[in-house]
Amino acid sequence: MRRPRGFIERTLTGTLAFFRQALYDDETASRPGLLQALDPRAKAATLLAFLLYALMTRSLAMLGVLYVFALALAAASRISPRTFLVRTWVFIPLFSLFLAVPALFSAVSPGRAVASVGGLTVTEQGLRAAAFFLGRVTVSVSLTVLLSMTTRHFELLKALRAFGVPQVFVMVLGISTRYIYLFVGVVEDTYRAIRSRVGFAVCPQRGQRLVAGNMAHLWMRSYQMNEHVYQAMLARGFRGEPVALQRFRMGARDGWWMGACAALLLGLIGAEWMMGV
Amino acid sequence: MASETVFECRGVHYAYRGRFPALGGVDIAVEAGERVALVGANGCGKSTLLSLLDALVFADKGRVLFRGVALTEAAFSDDAFARSFRKQVGLVFQNPDVQLFCPTVRDDIAFGPLQLGVDAKTAEARIGRLAEALGIGALLDRSPHQLSVGEKRKVALATSLAVEPDVLLLDEPTAGLDPRTTTHLIELLDAFARAGKTVVTATHDLHIVPDLADRVYVFGQNRTIAGSGTPEEVLADHALLDANNLIHVHHHHASDHRKFRWSAPDDKR
Repeated sequence: MRRPRGFIERTLTGTLAFFRQALYDDETASRPGLLQALDPRAKAATLLAFLLYALMTRSLAMLGVLYVFALALAAASRISPRTFLVRTWVFIPLFSLFLAVPALFSAVSPGRAVASVGGLTVTEQGLRAAAFFLGRVTVSVSLTVLLSMTTRHFELLKALRAFGVPQVFVMVLGISTRYIYLFVGVVEDTYRAIRSRVGFAVCPQRGQRLVAGNMAHLWMRSYQMNEHVYQAMLARGFRGEPVALQRFRMGARDGWWMGACAALLLGLIGAEWMMGV
Repeated sequence: MASETVFECRGVHYAYRGRFPALGGVDIAVEAGERVALVGANGCGKSTLLSLLDALVFADKGRVLFRGVALTEAAFSDDAFARSFRKQVGLVFQNPDVQLFCPTVRDDIAFGPLQLGVDAKTAEARIGRLAEALGIGALLDRSPHQLSVGEKRKVALATSLAVEPDVLLLDEPTAGLDPRTTTHLIELLDAFARAGKTVVTATHDLHIVPDLADRVYVFGQNRTIAGSGTPEEVLADHALLDANNLIHVHHHHASDHRKFRWSAPDDKR
């Protein structure tokens, strides 16, 4: 029989699963594939351009085209369709449900009634608004997941420099990411040590005390480590203005990619204009 | 040829937050090209002394001199001196996780040279050379959290060597390493010293001392230097090592262990 899991255990295992997923993403980003082969700056800039277009378009058909395009990119980047759909459709209802469902009804979107559900009237305008909202969220989440699954996290951080984010900010983000993994390891070890001593069944009050005690311990450790890391930076010549290695090189492939994306984007805008939307 | 004194400590005292004493009057000297080992039990002040030698903390009392210049906060407010010192002295921390703070191994190795004004091309060349010498080429684009302890130690050493220092300070460099990796590390440090560099190693692992040092300073329980000499002299002085918790003389026989039995206060068996 499956043992019921407490709040603490669920939170810990959920958090650890999230970080394991992040590690899996880094592996996916290291595989050969269309998007993986691109310079992260070119990739981020083009996917951002498609995302902005998805937010501005007034055509459902264009949103459909963009979604099919995202699915094709996932396939060309050797991401399994199942993994991609699971990763995107976990977030889509989360972002859209609370806004899209109320928009269906006449109270939020007055217009021509098309159906009645439990005394509430669904309008044509409501259906259209909900479809647009869902379409935009679907395309945006798909493009974002594509970027995150095909770009190693540190490269994504470095690509931020191309968008004018200061080096010190990028460096702090990079160091934070690095140490989050370290402390996740500490939490995992602590959790395993607790389980080895007290078993699986911990009463909620005792569990809360254990978690609070360990949070305090972790805070002290992170504070100490913070001091030592700063010393390690000073020892290697850090004087307050970080300098980092930039190894990105735009190649012919990136040029072709950006040209193709620009052409597709212009084509979509032109088609939308010709349809008179 | 007269040798040059690289480091000189005269009556150095240091206490953490002014309350927790770590050094109680240390006197040592390190000559250029010399290999020095600082040995002592846990918590005797070895790591603190290395931090003082690397000017990460400053003495409360007494003086630490580097090539005749006192290491003080005032001296490090001069950018030119600070940069020159950091180019000459490298420190390998006891905990490699402290030293590997960048998202990838490559970034970590490049960090020191880039902060010290080395151009990216030269930094890349140094990364390539070190990766080959240390056998870490396959790790360059990996994140430090994906490495084993031995790999982390090698990368941590690479991050300090990338600055191409004249003096290398190492804090427990072989802690937690398997015998093969320990031997490899000792060979690397030996090659570094043969190139005329100065190496100061803090350790409590007496087995590696003859391979790592020409001179040994033994830390006492009172956080001062209890004795010094060549590795042969110090390792032969069992009274000195025993008095300072570096060896333990067994007075009982193995059969005594079998008589010992754990019993909790409420053990009714």
